[in-house]
Amino acid sequence: MDPQLTSLIVPTEEVMQIEECLMHLVEDTGGSHALLLDKSGQVITSQGDGNQDITALGALIAGTFASSREVAKLLREKDFRMLFQQGVRENIFIALIEEQWILCIIFNKGTHIGLVKVLTKKATDELASVLDRVRHQHKQRDEVLGSSFRTSMEDTIDLLFRD
Amino acid sequence: MALINVAAREIHCKVVYYGPGMGGKTSNLQHIHNRAPDGTKKGKLLSIETETERTLFFDFLPLDLGKVRGFDTHFHLYTVPGQGLYDRTRVAVLNGADGVVFVADSQVQKLQENLASLKELAMNITRQNKKFQDFPVVLQYNKRDIQPVYEEQVLPDGTRRRRQVAGALPVAVLDKYINPKMQWQRFEAVAMRGDGVFETLRAISKLVISKL
Ligand SMILES: Nc1nc2c(ncn2[C@@H]2O[C@H](COP(=O)(O)OP(=O)(O)OP(=O)(O)O)[C@@H](O)[C@H]2O)c(=O)[nH]1
Ligand SMILES: [Mg+2]
Repeated sequence: MDPQLTSLIVPTEEVMQIEECLMHLVEDTGGSHALLLDKSGQVITSQGDGNQDITALGALIAGTFASSREVAKLLREKDFRMLFQQGVRENIFIALIEEQWILCIIFNKGTHIGLVKVLTKKATDELASVLDRVRHQHKQRDEVLGSSFRTSMEDTIDLLFRD
Repeated sequence: MALINVAAREIHCKVVYYGPGMGGKTSNLQHIHNRAPDGTKKGKLLSIETETERTLFFDFLPLDLGKVRGFDTHFHLYTVPGQGLYDRTRVAVLNGADGVVFVADSQVQKLQENLASLKELAMNITRQNKKFQDFPVVLQYNKRDIQPVYEEQVLPDGTRRRRQVAGALPVAVLDKYINPKMQWQRFEAVAMRGDGVFETLRAISKLVISKL
């Protein structure tokens, strides 16, 4: 992917595929929640119940993952892609998808971590192919980010952010 | 990298406040959180800090600007921990940022720290395979309220010279060292009172949007 590319546009169809994939993951693992994040911490979409603050959760999980990755680098670990947080009630399993997305599943004691790993692996493969399609479509960029959009955006910012 | 979810009609951008320790990054977010303008919806300010209120991991403030041409626009604001010790943590927080506000401490004794931090920022952006020259950056010269203190020196040949030993450096001097080519917009601020905080936020937001 072009590193200078400054935005990733996820079209409706791909969002639906992602949601379906997350839904299956939640169902098959008996988990409570599955989230797909951009590595910058933004939540693309999530499935499951619970009334967590998803935005804050996304920021924290991405931060934790990035920070663990730096730890791995210090230990000269080459390919760090997974993280498991074991809690008293809830466990969290986090997996990296192609250096771009982070898949996160929250589940409790009732589910075996081995099962979660296997099913997450399957889901990350599926999501990697969705990501690949998302990266290679350019049509929607101009539709969404036309010059009139930028102008409206600037007007909104001028209006809102005043001392 | 900004994220655009067409199905949910949402746009998310990430802005990171970077700079030397104690420069006033967290103060910027606190002011934005306290005075979030009408028309925006703010989330909780999430701060992971030490017992002495220094940032340990990051501060995080989601700001929802409302709908722009049908798209719900969100700015996610972060601060990094400025203390030298946390350089790897800064790398983690900077991951995927769309723009940076560099909060410089205007005080004369902080000039070297500012320059070191700016150099580190350039290196960290470059490591993300981005060109630092093209990366959206806005400068904030903070702590403009601290009065300069001068000292009279007598040189060996008997001539007298006035030297600044404390307080905020003149903007022209900061420009000369921090922004020599004037390639970045820069704003004076007193983040503790909120002066210049929204002006800075406005500039970085527009810059980020212009580069989407
Ligand atoms: N005089 C003065 N003090 C300020 C100003 N802005 C912030 N401060 C003070 O400077 C100290 C540090 O401010 P913070 O906002 O916590 O600094 P920070 O950059 O987040 O520091 P780290 O988290 O360690 O990187 C606090 O005591 C603030 O009240 C300012 O404009 N003028
Ligand atoms: Mg801080």
